[in-house]
Amino acid sequence: MSESVRAATVGEPVIRVEGLTKRYGELVAVDGLSLAVERGEIFGILGPNGAGKTTTLEMIEGLRKPDGGAVSVDGLAVWPEPREVKRRIGVQLQATALFDYQRLHEIIYVFGSCYGIHRGRDECAALLARVGLGDKIEAFVNELSGGQAQRLSIALALVNDPVVTFLDEPTTGLDPRARRALWEVIGEINRDGTTVVLTTHYMEEAERLCDRVAVMDRGRMMALDVPRTLITQLGAEATVRFDLSDRVPADELCGLDGATACRAVDEGYEVVADDAQRTVVSLLDFARARGLRVAHLDVRGADLEDVFLSMTGRKLSDEGEEAAAGVAAKKRRRFGFGGSR
Amino acid sequence: MRTFWDFVKADIQITVRNRQALFWTFFFPVLLMFLLGVVFGQSGSFTTKLAIVNDDRGPMSTAMVAVFGSVDALKVTAVSSEPGALKSLRNGDYAAVLVLPAGLEQRFGKGSSALPFYYDNSSLAQAGTVTMVTQQVVNGFAQKASGSQPKFELRSRGIASSSFNYISFLVPGVVAMALMTNGIYGVSGTFVAYRQRGVLRRLKATPMPLPSFVGSRVLVHLLLALMQAGLVIAVGVGLFHVHMAAGPTLARMALLALIGSGSFVAIGFFIAAVSKNVETSAALGQVVGTPMMFLSGIFFPMNNAPVWIQPIVKAMPLYYLANAMRDVMIKGFALWAVRWDIMILLVVTAVFLVLSVRFFRWE
Repeated sequence: MSESVRAATVGEPVIRVEGLTKRYGELVAVDGLSLAVERGEIFGILGPNGAGKTTTLEMIEGLRKPDGGAVSVDGLAVWPEPREVKRRIGVQLQATALFDYQRLHEIIYVFGSCYGIHRGRDECAALLARVGLGDKIEAFVNELSGGQAQRLSIALALVNDPVVTFLDEPTTGLDPRARRALWEVIGEINRDGTTVVLTTHYMEEAERLCDRVAVMDRGRMMALDVPRTLITQLGAEATVRFDLSDRVPADELCGLDGATACRAVDEGYEVVADDAQRTVVSLLDFARARGLRVAHLDVRGADLEDVFLSMTGRKLSDEGEEAAAGVAAKKRRRFGFGGSR
Repeated sequence: MRTFWDFVKADIQITVRNRQALFWTFFFPVLLMFLLGVVFGQSGSFTTKLAIVNDDRGPMSTAMVAVFGSVDALKVTAVSSEPGALKSLRNGDYAAVLVLPAGLEQRFGKGSSALPFYYDNSSLAQAGTVTMVTQQVVNGFAQKASGSQPKFELRSRGIASSSFNYISFLVPGVVAMALMTNGIYGVSGTFVAYRQRGVLRRLKATPMPLPSFVGSRVLVHLLLALMQAGLVIAVGVGLFHVHMAAGPTLARMALLALIGSGSFVAIGFFIAAVSKNVETSAALGQVVGTPMMFLSGIFFPMNNAPVWIQPIVKAMPLYYLANAMRDVMIKGFALWAVRWDIMILLVVTAVFLVLSVRFFRWE
């Protein structure tokens, strides 16, 4: 794409989705979804498993034909013929295994070739270095850790210098350290000028990484805004948790300044506060007056988890589900490749 | 187009670097041929076929034919004319032809006892066996008839036939079989794995048309098939001295290998298309491949098999490839002479390609 065309379209949303719908028999996986993604942002689609995130992404990517609605990417309608759009986007799918017996730089080359881009070895190495795999260019896929395999699939989503790149649950199944490292990589890519659309069911990921977040549940969009705004709109600003050296009736704690709710939990207490600072000062006065000691004081800001909970009445990431997803991702990755001749 | 060649290159790398699979691809047919060749190659384990031309039709000759019929090691066929019998001998239908001339009994009485005997000298071991057995039967008969010295003598003549010994029979069959297993298991296994692991889906997310990817795989596969066929033939000729017909036999075999391999690749794609996962495709491959391997006359000629099994034999694509390869490699037939075999293979290819496209799934 030439610079002049690109310049002419600045200001226009890079992705426009209007009334997008997908049904599987009785189930409506995506139900009249509309949104617009601006150039240069990191756009998150947050929701639990089965919310329709992946289906939405795949309809935008030209992998799954919608039953209704319209999608355009970079000013081009995706359907009915998505080939031209596929040229301009980068795609990372959930848990893609790749060819065994191919070195990383060879995989980069051959995928580039799918877009008519024929990189030299050094250029392939440079792309791998962008995702932190600069020392792995000669490695084979089956020698990579889970986090490294994810980095490779992100490198493949950049192989055609896309206008926008789609990452489907890029950090699912990774340990916290690998997850944070991957956030760094995604941030870098975005700073280099690529619009990023990602799905996740980790709210921390959405809060830390995304400029704007669409919250999805059961095929519908519940909210779309900057993460901070979504949280602020929720009202409850923070939860103050602490232990006291002696038991007091929990009700008395509701008298603290700024407290909107209070309850005893386990060994200690939880006070929901709309102004955490005032509540904490008031708590310390309360304790001094009664000769009590405050221990394990913890102030937790409301997060997208709370937003999701308040909007849907359901928890975003159920622990069991998440663990299962992690195991499945590991299982998929354990497959070797091409050994079946 | 360059993308296509990039995928060809990648596919060659994948194939060559998978040392273990590569080793078995080439080694298994050679091993099989070697084992069967060593076990059966020299001894000629089959019943020897003897044609008897009875021009005499007297009581003595009839009795003699009956004695021959009771010998276990021989399968005796009565043939009416000597030229006809010799023609069949040259085609390799019989191991030997014994002629009982008219007036046998009178001549026997006069002491003139020469019996024309022709044997196929293309397999020395078999020629030795059939000559020895025939001589013994004739001697025993003469002794009983006269109670004295044997008076029949075989007037033996070796005739070069286009017939072949067991290993010659085996080699073209093993070539065909190797193409079959590699085509069916190789293609279905890799393709289902590619689908199951999301590789096809990932490729679908690129603007590359699927035919480039499939085409590159098929091309690499056909190259592999040619090499495999070449190796089996080379080992057969080099190690077992298999007689290869004169003329452009190798070129004809190469063409047959491509046509045959194409059929099995198409069947492999069909299996891949209808299989949910690698396990299913492996099982389906066995279901299709195993009967084909044993009922297509690869290891034993199927014209000796029971009549009820013949229709099943004729339904096996491998049967036609093995037949065509045998005719071309050993008998020196031109491709035109095996055109019906080729036609059937091409029809199989077309049918299964259409079915594969019909049932194809990305995920």
